[in-house]
Amino acid sequence: MRISLLLAASACIMAAVLLYSSGRESRLLRADPDSISRNSTLETFALSRGAPLFELHCASCHGVQGEGDSRRGVPALNDGDWLYGSGLVSDIEQVIKFGIRSYHPRAWNLAIMPAYARPRPSSRDGKIAPLSPQDIRDLVEFLYRAQGRTADAAAALRGAALFTGVGGCYDCHAVDAKGDSAIGAPDLTDRITLYGDGSRESLSLSISQGRHGLCPAWVNRIGPAGIREVAVFVHSLSGAG
Amino acid sequence: MNSHRSFVFLGCGALLGLLMAGYSLFTARGTSTLIVPPEDVALVNQQPISRSDYLQQLQTLFGVDLAHATKEQRQKVLNDMIREELFVQRGKELDVASTDPDVRAALVNAVELEIAADAVTAQPTESQLQAYYNTHRERYAGEGIMSVRDYVFPSGESAVAAVEALKLSAPTPALLTQWHASDSGKVADEEFYFAVKIHLGESLFEIARHLSDGEVSAPIARADGIHVLYVFKNRRPLAFDFAAARDHVLTDYRNDAIGHLRTGDEAFLRKRANVLIADDVHQ
Repeated sequence: MRISLLLAASACIMAAVLLYSSGRESRLLRADPDSISRNSTLETFALSRGAPLFELHCASCHGVQGEGDSRRGVPALNDGDWLYGSGLVSDIEQVIKFGIRSYHPRAWNLAIMPAYARPRPSSRDGKIAPLSPQDIRDLVEFLYRAQGRTADAAAALRGAALFTGVGGCYDCHAVDAKGDSAIGAPDLTDRITLYGDGSRESLSLSISQGRHGLCPAWVNRIGPAGIREVAVFVHSLSGAG
Repeated sequence: MNSHRSFVFLGCGALLGLLMAGYSLFTARGTSTLIVPPEDVALVNQQPISRSDYLQQLQTLFGVDLAHATKEQRQKVLNDMIREELFVQRGKELDVASTDPDVRAALVNAVELEIAADAVTAQPTESQLQAYYNTHRERYAGEGIMSVRDYVFPSGESAVAAVEALKLSAPTPALLTQWHASDSGKVADEEFYFAVKIHLGESLFEIARHLSDGEVSAPIARADGIHVLYVFKNRRPLAFDFAAARDHVLTDYRNDAIGHLRTGDEAFLRKRANVLIADDVHQ
């Protein structure tokens, strides 16, 4: 008799937990993603479920704390500097869903850094011409100056002309070199480096060899609730949560 | 009393089971449901219209989020999306893929992308990447840099004499005037190997490539005169170490994985398909 009672009680508790949890999941999915951080109950629920999902699927590249790895060109997610979008949960959610250069038809794949020390710098845009070694050195000086670092003034001036001229860099990074988060072109003036340590050598390597990191599309691999939970968790990593 | 209590518990259990079954029945994917799942905004013949697509469409069309969208704006987006879904479903019924080449191409492309997307989700380990790099090390090198001059001489004798002089000192305008040489002007001060190759031509580049800093070539007879190459600087391509090449190694590794997966998928599709080929074509 006592065993039946225990079994019935356990079943009731499990069912209640299941219903409660799925009720919250529904509320999380129906909520405006960008207002979740204003609802502490929903946010706590999302964070508690998003953290293990992040650890399972994202931490192998981005690190457990979202610290990134500039040696591998993996962006930090905890610094408030957003390469794609403006750091809203809805923006993050879209990146997680469709990825970056992930081969998903809806992935972000507009910006691919050409390899200017190759005969054909861009496989997509045949109009982009290669640069000479001196051109690349000049561009590096221009970037140094744009970041407020000590640079060769004459070379920086030539680099500026290349940046807005034949190099075509302005097309993605904008005329002021502040980038364009709508296409994932990084701000080149802020000293936050996606690849390498920001030295002349690493900047030169990026210009010479090109860059095109990739983030997989998790749609159909993680459910809609899971994707939103991870998005809320990633949002919280930047201290914006 | 005990049997009465047992019946009560039995009834509770049955009721709970029914509630859970009902909940699952009305919300689970793949079944006919009467409730729109929370991740969707509508079901059109049981096909979901995703909430996030709806929100994105609102943002794209009107630049507003759900909270700030007017009733008309919401209705317009929803109607557009329902219309699209209805037409897609009708397109499937009509089997437009069998007649419309654009639809066929889009389907082929979509399936190829889906296979590729599957492949990129699997993150290779560092040791797998290192092994790949070790196997294909020759792919990962920078471009060589060369500073070379291409002088053209009117005769073999003057070229031979100039070569002897250039072995002792770098070219000067006086020396070039003395031997009636002219700079072909084909190469700039400093160029990557590929640019030198394009500008000088393959055969002259091959000769220049093997010269070191301050070395001069033997006279080379060409239709436009006798050429002599003087190399000021020759930085041969440097192999990238794994850390510098990692980004490209990962891309190549994934591209190979995508290629293998596509080949495998195609083989699987061919294996399970019933393909009949006309005799006259088969022969």
